[in-house]
Amino acid sequence: MPHPLDDMLVMILAGGQGARLAPLTKDRAKPATPFAGSHRIIDFALSNCLNSGLTRVVLLTQYRSTSLHRHIQAGWSGFFVPALGQFIDLVPPQQRTHAMWYLGTADAIYQNIYLLERERPRHVLILGGDHVYKMDYAEMLDGHVETGAVLTVGCIETPRDEATRFGVMRVDTDMRIRAFREKPADPDPVPGKPDRALASMGFYIFDTEALVKALIADARADTARDFGKNIIPDLVAAEAPVYAHPFHEPGAPDRSYWRDIGTLDSLYDANMDLIQSDPPFDMYGDDWPIRTYYQPLPPARVVNAGGHTARIENVLLSPGVQIRGAVVRNSVLSPNVVVEPGAVVEDSLLFNDVRVESGARVSRAIVDKLVRVPAGDAIGSAFSEGASRFSTTESGIVVLPKAMVLS
Amino acid sequence: MTVVDAGQPTRVLVVEDDASMAELVQEELADEGYVVQVVYSGADALTAIANDAPDVVVLDINMPGKDGIETLNDIAGERGDLPVILHTAYSAYKDNYMTWSAVEYVVKSAAGGFRELKDAVAKAVKVGE
Repeated sequence: MPHPLDDMLVMILAGGQGARLAPLTKDRAKPATPFAGSHRIIDFALSNCLNSGLTRVVLLTQYRSTSLHRHIQAGWSGFFVPALGQFIDLVPPQQRTHAMWYLGTADAIYQNIYLLERERPRHVLILGGDHVYKMDYAEMLDGHVETGAVLTVGCIETPRDEATRFGVMRVDTDMRIRAFREKPADPDPVPGKPDRALASMGFYIFDTEALVKALIADARADTARDFGKNIIPDLVAAEAPVYAHPFHEPGAPDRSYWRDIGTLDSLYDANMDLIQSDPPFDMYGDDWPIRTYYQPLPPARVVNAGGHTARIENVLLSPGVQIRGAVVRNSVLSPNVVVEPGAVVEDSLLFNDVRVESGARVSRAIVDKLVRVPAGDAIGSAFSEGASRFSTTESGIVVLPKAMVLS
Repeated sequence: MTVVDAGQPTRVLVVEDDASMAELVQEELADEGYVVQVVYSGADALTAIANDAPDVVVLDINMPGKDGIETLNDIAGERGDLPVILHTAYSAYKDNYMTWSAVEYVVKSAAGGFRELKDAVAKAVKVGE
């Protein structure tokens, strides 16, 4: 018998349209969205897999997957050794049973049952590709095997009034799930904690046979083809052994940072978390490396220039960044960003190859790749001249799409 | 599942590339009162399903061209509600996840005048009612 970890296939749902991250997702799949300057959102799920010892990974892609493909090929393929039976495969829709995009999360797996037949894993781990967290899936698998569950759902405690955005479960004291409702108006409380609820984090370990049977039954019925709306509630209703696995960070039972990067504001906020003096989420340290594709770039440099003193404060600087006689505060800068003398960048995310020219100001903005902010221009809702030119998020963050030309 | 009008005879589509086996099965099922149509390939099965609206499909697996597993997969995409019975000389495919969308898996046996197949068809019809 292979070790249970070696007998688990990971299937990552990397096909979300990411409409609420528009315009950043106009040309890229949501999981390929830059995060923490040097990384992409997908790197967290993939790092968790690798660090958990999971080396058979399939990414189910769908929309605009070119940049995701490139990132995986360049940054991740090398970690998986085919000679050892390891792989990371990108699988676009085969349209084997219908010539349509995936109808829902369950349909994405159903359409790829042939992959399960090819690999014949004992267990399947189904993950989303758009969450920021550190998690040891091996521990979750141990729990799954110990309880005799056919399905184990990753879950996190949230305030009850915030749980209405998630799938919410009612559990026994042994964490067996007795009811599961997607986005309920009145979430069930955690036993003994009336103001807390258990929210699904959207990842699951299934016994493969139970998964296949559930998917086929669902495909025959008139449903939304969705794990949260159909597959999980149906298994729970049929009294199948379905358990919840409470999330915590590896080796840190009291830490549970997890962010669903569903909106531009959540993307912004999660990036800003990283530049706090004591960040709620720690990407540093050797015990749980968050890997990515690193371009061969020179170190970031911060130098005085043009008679201006360079100043930086609470920033993430990626390789290849150049700050020349400029002020950068409370910001996250991706590789090859250049900020020229006299410019001021505050409270912003600048993606790869953005150039902020002399004397320009950028405040509370997300600036996508390759945008050039002309000398003396002012970007951000704080500036009267910048208020109406760009789209803004609910909380007032200005968003400049990729390669936007400003005059 | 298919809703069968009690007043209409149940229509069974038999997909079988071996002509003599097809004839045997057709006769036996016709004896049970079913209206039986035979086609000899997976491709023809899809055409027949689209044109003739059978209530139940009896599907061989080992066929040249589009085999039974592929045909089953196509049927699931086109008509997910149509009950399909796999009828094969081999038991080995039973573990193949790709066959699990069939409502029954029957290993070919003429015993009792294809008793097991007849039971499977009757069961599939009953589920559909």
